Amino acid sequence: MALRSLNLPGVGTKYEIETDKGDTIAIFFTKTGTIQMYTLQNGCNTPSAAVMNPVEARRLGNILTGAIIEADKESVEIAFSALADLRITIHTFFIPQRIVGKTIEDLQIRAKTGATIIAVCRNDKNIINPPPSFVFEDGDATLVIGESDQIKKFEHEIMVE
Amino acid sequence: MEGFIIALFVCLVLALISKYLSIPAIPFYILAGVVLGKAGLGIVQSNEISHFFSEMGLLFLLFFMGLELKMERIVANPSKVLTAGFIGIIVDMGIGFTAAYLLGFTLMEAFIVGAAFYITSTAIVITSLIENRKLMSKEAETIIWVVIFEDIVLIGILALLSISDQNLLVFFAKIGLALSLMYLISFYGKEFLVSILDRDDEIPILFTFAAVLTTASLALFFGIPATLMVIALGAALATTDPDAFEQHARPFKDVFLVIFFVFFGVTIDLSAGADWVIIAVICVLAIISKLISGILMGIMIHDSALSGLEIWANMICRGEFSIALAVLYGSPVIATTVAALVIVTSIFGSFTAKYSTWMRRGIVSHRRRKALMHRPHAGR
Repeated sequence: MALRSLNLPGVGTKYEIETDKGDTIAIFFTKTGTIQMYTLQNGCNTPSAAVMNPVEARRLGNILTGAIIEADKESVEIAFSALADLRITIHTFFIPQRIVGKTIEDLQIRAKTGATIIAVCRNDKNIINPPPSFVFEDGDATLVIGESDQIKKFEHEIMVE
Repeated sequence: MEGFIIALFVCLVLALISKYLSIPAIPFYILAGVVLGKAGLGIVQSNEISHFFSEMGLLFLLFFMGLELKMERIVANPSKVLTAGFIGIIVDMGIGFTAAYLLGFTLMEAFIVGAAFYITSTAIVITSLIENRKLMSKEAETIIWVVIFEDIVLIGILALLSISDQNLLVFFAKIGLALSLMYLISFYGKEFLVSILDRDDEIPILFTFAAVLTTASLALFFGIPATLMVIALGAALATTDPDAFEQHARPFKDVFLVIFFVFFGVTIDLSAGADWVIIAVICVLAIISKLISGILMGIMIHDSALSGLEIWANMICRGEFSIALAVLYGSPVIATTVAALVIVTSIFGSFTAKYSTWMRRGIVSHRRRKALMHRPHAGR
């Protein structure tokens, strides 16, 4: 796998990866703010291209790093190879009816699952680091951080209807 | 003033249409100018205000070009870029200059027409590469570097054209002094410049505007070409934070350059005695000469005439720099010729750039069919 990066004047930055199977993928961060991805199959002459905006590109990036993405839930796994391959997952959940009106303390989230709620999105506003006394309301979306096992536990014990 | 606003409004509509059809807007701005101005309806006259704005457009265009010229940038394959670049100069400049001279322009005029004939439009070429999703092709890289090479040649041409009536030694001493001053300021004042650009109030944009204008007027005062100095300013400031400068200069460039194109069209005077046969010949030659240089580049660099065809299809458009040369050094006849050249090549070129893949596919499948038919045992 050879990675090549190049600064093209007037255009932007180009990254090119050649895979082991001989296919080529090129990504261009253009100055217009869009991201273009080209794939060229081994032995083929004309590449196919996709143009993305930054949000779409990040989504694609999340998928490629192996994180699971469903329509309304999104998760990102970050691996820190320097810290004994520490893998941290960040996952979003929409809270179920069952826990509306309860606090984080009531639910004993950290004690039961080990995962931590680091942000809650309510009516398009973000509440970062909600205190233990934080009361969930209908329609809240939570952002949970932890190892993937802890996230699974959180999903099975707290998020069940 | 009413004319000015009418022109702006027409441009806005044209820009919307050209973006919708994804073809370059430059030829339409010029055409709008021609229709509204002297040669057409006569609604819009150029005056001091429009002249000032046009000049701003030119200065910011050149400043932008300077920002892109990062001297420390390592060219991936210098010998290839040089080969392609020199093919371009010799073929395109050669054909343009010879044709113009033979068609009755004086030596000096023929040089300007030849230069305008040679310089491809960086803006149109790069935008069309991005929009037509051609960045990955190996020809795209060649095209981008050739276009940058042409920009550097343009600096040489501007320098050549501006030294005509001065004492050479004094002239170069002044330029050298100005250049070193700019680089010294950007080198020692880097932190200060970056701290100014990082602010989120009106200071960065004001500073960018003032820097360009001050440089231009100082250059005029000391009798050195403002065009060269503004390019040099861009190149010097590119050593600090080029992206920030680009961001702050872009609005000025975008607005003033449109005015520059329209009023170039407005000032075109058809009664100056432009010969339509000559203009037609030059326009056709402009397309043919890029075909020759493109195919030569394709053969020399990619070992393939088909690649050359792709290079040709993307590099036909002449644009902003050709007009700049005509405005700075051209007579009314040259202005008309260059206007026609830009309009014809940029419209024609935008279509070849868009449909080059089809063209290529057609040629390849035709060849394949021919090869099949010539097989000795075919039809058995």
